[in-house]
Amino acid sequence: MEPTTESTRRDQVADGRFVSVIVPVVEGVDDLTELYRSFSAALTARGNDHEFVFVFDGGYAPPPELVTLSHERTNLKLLRFARSFGETAALRLGIERSRGDLLLTLPAYFQVQAEGVGALLDALTDQTDVVVASRSPRIDSWLNRLQSAVFNRMISGVGDRQFHDSACGVRVLRRAAAEGLPLYGDLHRFIPALALREGYQVVEVPVPQHPSNARTRLYGPATYARRLLDIATFFFLAKFTEKPLRFFGLVGSLFFVAGAVTSLILLVNRLEGQAIANRPLLLLAVLCLALGVQLMGLGLVGEIIVHLRAPHRRAYRVRERV
Amino acid sequence: MIMTRLREEAAGPDLSVVAPLYNESQNVAPLVEWILLALADYSGRFEVILVDDGSRDDTWDGVVAASIQDDRVHGLRLGRNVGQTAAMMAGFDHARGRVVVSLDGDLQNDPRDIPALVAKLDEGYDLVCGWRERRQDKFLLRKVPSWVANRIIRRLTGVQITDNGCSLKAYRRELLDRVSLYAEQHRFIPALSASAGARITEMPVRHHARRFGESKYGISRTVKVLADLFTLKMITTFRSRPLLGFGVAAVPLVLGSMLFATAAAVAIADFPEFKATAVVFPGAAMLFAAAAFYLVMLGLVAEVALNSERESANEVPNAWEVR
Repeated sequence: MEPTTESTRRDQVADGRFVSVIVPVVEGVDDLTELYRSFSAALTARGNDHEFVFVFDGGYAPPPELVTLSHERTNLKLLRFARSFGETAALRLGIERSRGDLLLTLPAYFQVQAEGVGALLDALTDQTDVVVASRSPRIDSWLNRLQSAVFNRMISGVGDRQFHDSACGVRVLRRAAAEGLPLYGDLHRFIPALALREGYQVVEVPVPQHPSNARTRLYGPATYARRLLDIATFFFLAKFTEKPLRFFGLVGSLFFVAGAVTSLILLVNRLEGQAIANRPLLLLAVLCLALGVQLMGLGLVGEIIVHLRAPHRRAYRVRERV
Repeated sequence: MIMTRLREEAAGPDLSVVAPLYNESQNVAPLVEWILLALADYSGRFEVILVDDGSRDDTWDGVVAASIQDDRVHGLRLGRNVGQTAAMMAGFDHARGRVVVSLDGDLQNDPRDIPALVAKLDEGYDLVCGWRERRQDKFLLRKVPSWVANRIIRRLTGVQITDNGCSLKAYRRELLDRVSLYAEQHRFIPALSASAGARITEMPVRHHARRFGESKYGISRTVKVLADLFTLKMITTFRSRPLLGFGVAAVPLVLGSMLFATAAAVAIADFPEFKATAVVFPGAAMLFAAAAFYLVMLGLVAEVALNSERESANEVPNAWEVR
């Protein structure tokens, strides 16, 4: 590459308006070339220099047209996983392989109108680290909206703020915030709440929904079951990572108390002269006691791990120093 | 490690005063003024670190104003409200003093006690705890639960500190480098310090009634404190040999198993006619035995965790040179 091009590229990145667009291609692929063109045009219209990083999960091949385009343009990068690693991993890779200080994540389909990214970028003031889009007004079917509403309601119990469209894949993040988030497994769905928990300043901005995003989406029961597990994971991590015994101890002591009460009843029965050797209730009592002790033991192992990690981990993030 | 990196500026002050603030906008200015007044005669160099723990009012503006007025005053603004323990840790991590003093940001502690605490520390202690001898708080809601909690803490941890809840404390730098607080552990600083091998003492300090703002505590936390205390006790006792801890916990289960095994043997020997149907006693014996076995296996998992964190596991307890 010529040195001049390299230096102009560095200038672009340094000017503070350079946006790295990260597109994880993991599901529901629309015409990616069109996606690239329209969002690229919207960013250019705002005067934002930019680059696009498409990350293709295993099973998705880059369309030939986009590949050809990537040969012509230096600001278009296509990356591909050899096997399926999922959306969170794709996001991580995109964050790692992009250069800008501002990151815009987009799903591989038209979720919002391309013009809407302007509002997102405008909302990123120097007091803000993360801007999340909320599709509004929503023009899709009540079934879609119901799914979104249930999901958002379920995860709103964790933090003190409710986000209206947590699953929307359109977000702007400062690089520091993106790299500071615990992004693994399937946690990308919880980025707004995660960012808040990590001490970043998050705002939500309404962005008009794209008409093609209006088609009704229904998934198989396995997908919903996975989502439910994701929510449970997130909930547990958010509430108990610092004190696992609070959770395991609570559940364990419920079992233990149930077992103890049952045992006591049986003991009274025995003292009254009844035989207890043939009563299955005795087995239940012992089972509850054993389970209670085991759960508390598990919680203690968790506490030991947390305690050992404590010198390396800080629960706070410093926002400003004077 | 985090702490060493933050304090790399050499030749820092001798004393750092750390005060966490949460929604204390009215208290910031008087607090700073009071601290500066109290330390006017202090011979060494000192700094004041105000930690704004994600306040929702204009506490931070007060901190900024104070830091502009006096360059010995520094401010830290945290990204969100993380609670007193983490806020104190933030202050400790950024404090550069050889001695660090913590106090509440609500003016209930009196900064005039700071020089005396530091002097006491220099007599050869790693931690000097304040003791609110004449505490100015509600009797039933604050003093009684605190009295009970302190008794239990003393009893369980064996550390004879009258007032564990008092924030006014003086620490030697070396102690803070080896004690990492998390969750809601600020109440157990004496116990954690003792388990790290610190020399601890206490002295009576002044205490004032709240002037501005509201108390951020309620009585409901007493149960949580007790649960945390139990956890702490377990961890500090068995942190270097978890398998032993789990082994001890398994003993009652083994005893229960043996009890039911005996009962089963007796039942089968004495009442052969029930032999085919008598599954309850052997079943109970097996369940207890399985649970005991499981606990021992968990102990092994804990050993693996400990071994993989060699840096923590290898830590040598605190010691000092006798002169």
